Amino acid sequence: MSNENQQNQDTTAPAPAAKKKKVATRKTAARPAAKKAAVKRKTTARKKATAAKSSRRSTAQSKRNVVKEASVVIVGAGFAGLGMAIRLRQAGVDDFVLLERAEKVGGTWRDNTYPGAACDIPSHLYSYSFAPNPHWSRHFSGSDEILGYIEHLVKQYGLRDKIHFQQDVTDARFDETKGQWRVDTRQGDVWQGRAVVMAQGPLSNASFPDIEGLSDFKGKRLHSARWDHDYDFSGKRVAVIGTGASAVQIVPELAKTAGILKVFQRTPAWVIPRPDYATPDWNKALFEKLPLTRKAMRQALYWTHETMALAVIWNSPLTRLAERLSLIHLRSQVKDDWMRRQLTPDFRIGCKRVLLSNDYYPALQRDNVDLITWPIARIAENGVRTCDGIEHQFDCIVFATGFDVPKSGTPFPIRGLNGRELGEEWSGGARAYKSVSVAGYPNLFFTFGPNSGPGHNSALVYMEAQLDYAVAGIRRILDHDLKILDVRESVQQRHNRHLQKRLARTNWNSGCKSWYLTEDGYNATMYPGFASQYRRQMARFVDQHYRRVPQTGNA
Amino acid sequence: MANIDLDKMLAKVKSSQWALADIDWDAPGADLITAEQWPKLKAFMADLMWIEHVGARGFAAMAKKAPDDTLKQIYTYFHAEEQRHANAEMALMKRWGMLDGDELPEPNKNLKLVIQWLDKYSDDMPLEVLGSVIPMLEIALDGALCTFLLDTVDDPVCHQAFARINDDESRHLGVGFHVLEMQGRGDLYIKALKTVATVLDPRLILGIASYVPLLNRMRDNVVAMGLSEEKLYACMKKFERIGGRTAQGRRNPWYQIISRHGRMVVNRDNRTYHAPVDLMVRLTDYIPERLMPSRVPTWVKGISYRPTA
Repeated sequence: MSNENQQNQDTTAPAPAAKKKKVATRKTAARPAAKKAAVKRKTTARKKATAAKSSRRSTAQSKRNVVKEASVVIVGAGFAGLGMAIRLRQAGVDDFVLLERAEKVGGTWRDNTYPGAACDIPSHLYSYSFAPNPHWSRHFSGSDEILGYIEHLVKQYGLRDKIHFQQDVTDARFDETKGQWRVDTRQGDVWQGRAVVMAQGPLSNASFPDIEGLSDFKGKRLHSARWDHDYDFSGKRVAVIGTGASAVQIVPELAKTAGILKVFQRTPAWVIPRPDYATPDWNKALFEKLPLTRKAMRQALYWTHETMALAVIWNSPLTRLAERLSLIHLRSQVKDDWMRRQLTPDFRIGCKRVLLSNDYYPALQRDNVDLITWPIARIAENGVRTCDGIEHQFDCIVFATGFDVPKSGTPFPIRGLNGRELGEEWSGGARAYKSVSVAGYPNLFFTFGPNSGPGHNSALVYMEAQLDYAVAGIRRILDHDLKILDVRESVQQRHNRHLQKRLARTNWNSGCKSWYLTEDGYNATMYPGFASQYRRQMARFVDQHYRRVPQTGNA
Repeated sequence: MANIDLDKMLAKVKSSQWALADIDWDAPGADLITAEQWPKLKAFMADLMWIEHVGARGFAAMAKKAPDDTLKQIYTYFHAEEQRHANAEMALMKRWGMLDGDELPEPNKNLKLVIQWLDKYSDDMPLEVLGSVIPMLEIALDGALCTFLLDTVDDPVCHQAFARINDDESRHLGVGFHVLEMQGRGDLYIKALKTVATVLDPRLILGIASYVPLLNRMRDNVVAMGLSEEKLYACMKKFERIGGRTAQGRRNPWYQIISRHGRMVVNRDNRTYHAPVDLMVRLTDYIPERLMPSRVPTWVKGISYRPTA
């Protein structure tokens, strides 16, 4: 039995009967008390909320300020938020809400619909093990199929009624006297919960590069994560700025329709072949009829990716091998030696995200495509001026420049104990305990929190571990009627010292600039280890590491 | 002390960018080129443009070798800026009717050999070699030639373009000398050993064989244009003067080699140097076309006189 399955049994299987019973008892015992308190609080909270809002927001003046309550408030209805909802429900916690700022679920996969959008991790691994899909059409599915899977999760688990759309969270603050989080939305609603789960996603805010004259351009401007499907590219002069994970997927597609396509590159990335194929029908049928075969597939993929850690995370002979394979890929696809030089990375493989593509290099060599490696001086009315003095004129500029990944801040103010504000504390780089909890911010659980990123394996494998860890925490709060469950500062510090020591020896910290690091080179995003190590760490919820204050007593 | 703050320099470089579109290439004044000047100027401009282009390739190689990210970025910008100079010079040639249609002018044979060498070996050369040769090329060929040009050509557009080019070049030189000094800081013994080892590298010997006659060829071209070669020499001496201002700079063995070589170049009485080198220049002219490198690297084709693309 593999590690992964073992752990799935420990943490992800629906709660057995005994557990369910306990949860039921907890529900009946804890809820009335909480409700009583809530009723008492409601009027004062309402007054407070009204006062606070009238000074803060004018747009929401006309709205009512009803405080809505739930045991758990989940921010975001993407992969993380929906996964959290499913795991909570499976653990017997049904009193939760999901606040979604858009009108649809899906997060990153709802937003990224550019031509060619797909996942770099095989679908059988880039899906929840507790919600398997035997019908994936390809080894690497496109964004529409992944979004379909996410929407299917909502249906299958009956989550539709739990999701509140157009609820853009603007503020979250913890009331330590009540042990309640108060969450405000731009729409003027106020939510209260005993626990909050941050599932807003790290790749949710489109990032534009810091280029002079960005707004001077008079033609069409597009961001890869905000695609305009009505815009017709055929015959147009198009620029793609950026050569990261989105760009290598967009470029081959745009090259087919655009009249002229110029790709602006600052730093070439390591590109390796993408072993993609359509899954034959018999195979899908097999996965459906014999779930064991699907599980075996997932296991095989999981362990293949685990071995990649040796090449990607640490500098080892496998790193050299991976670099050599990538260079062979480049040499076999690009004939011109100057272009090969332009496309050869000068940093260690793994330091930045490794890209998978079979058609990016060929696309760059098409007659209608140009690779431009001159630095961009500025954007002008009609196009992009490069430092070789030439103005490249375009009808449309596509920004494939990724996302503002929060490494040193929070998407909205989060206030914890004694008025401390998380954004300020994280200004030098985000720090958490096991990527989920942050000292001073009780009853708050992060998904994709600090140092939770894999460089070699499926983010959803890490996500499952975080979800189950959060469930363990939330159940403690509800089962034991805790006002405060707060990780100890010293424990968090020790954890981070250890993390940073290990990170210093990884390829991510080997000298290149990437979105993994802050401006000062602090790594607040990646987990320095195997997925199996991460999951082992997350499987244990050590009560001694947390300060607990019951609702009725003192610390 | 030529020590400069590289971060500030990078910011300065970024904020000083200009484009061909900033200059009106059709402005009046093109007729100020005399009929007598025209043929010599055409040959001269072609050489100048190619030297800028070759210098650009040198910076591209240096960007790969740069010891830190700031210097790497600076060199990446300088690479583009040298290309911009070549583009601007080609635009001037276009303005003066010196281009055959849209064709790039042919580089002379010495330049062809240098291009070939740069394409094949420059990425393998240590930063010390390129970091010393490039300032010399910049001063002697680029900087000096530009000054001569402005002395003889009255076209205001030419002056406008070269005011910008010289402005860029002053930053290139500032960084060049800074790096020369930086490299002089290491242990002299190790430096000397490394230098000897590098000199023994046959790839470098090939490079020297291309660089040395190029200097003499350019001297001949300058003289052909009716300019005083003394001015070229004065510029070359500037390399020795500025590079040798500080002890660190003087400790750089490559500075020593290049500046000593410069002294030999400017001393016309040194027959032991000039006789064989001049012979090399003449011999290059006799290399049959079929033996010249036939394959033109793609980067050579990147020049354009058009402000927009």
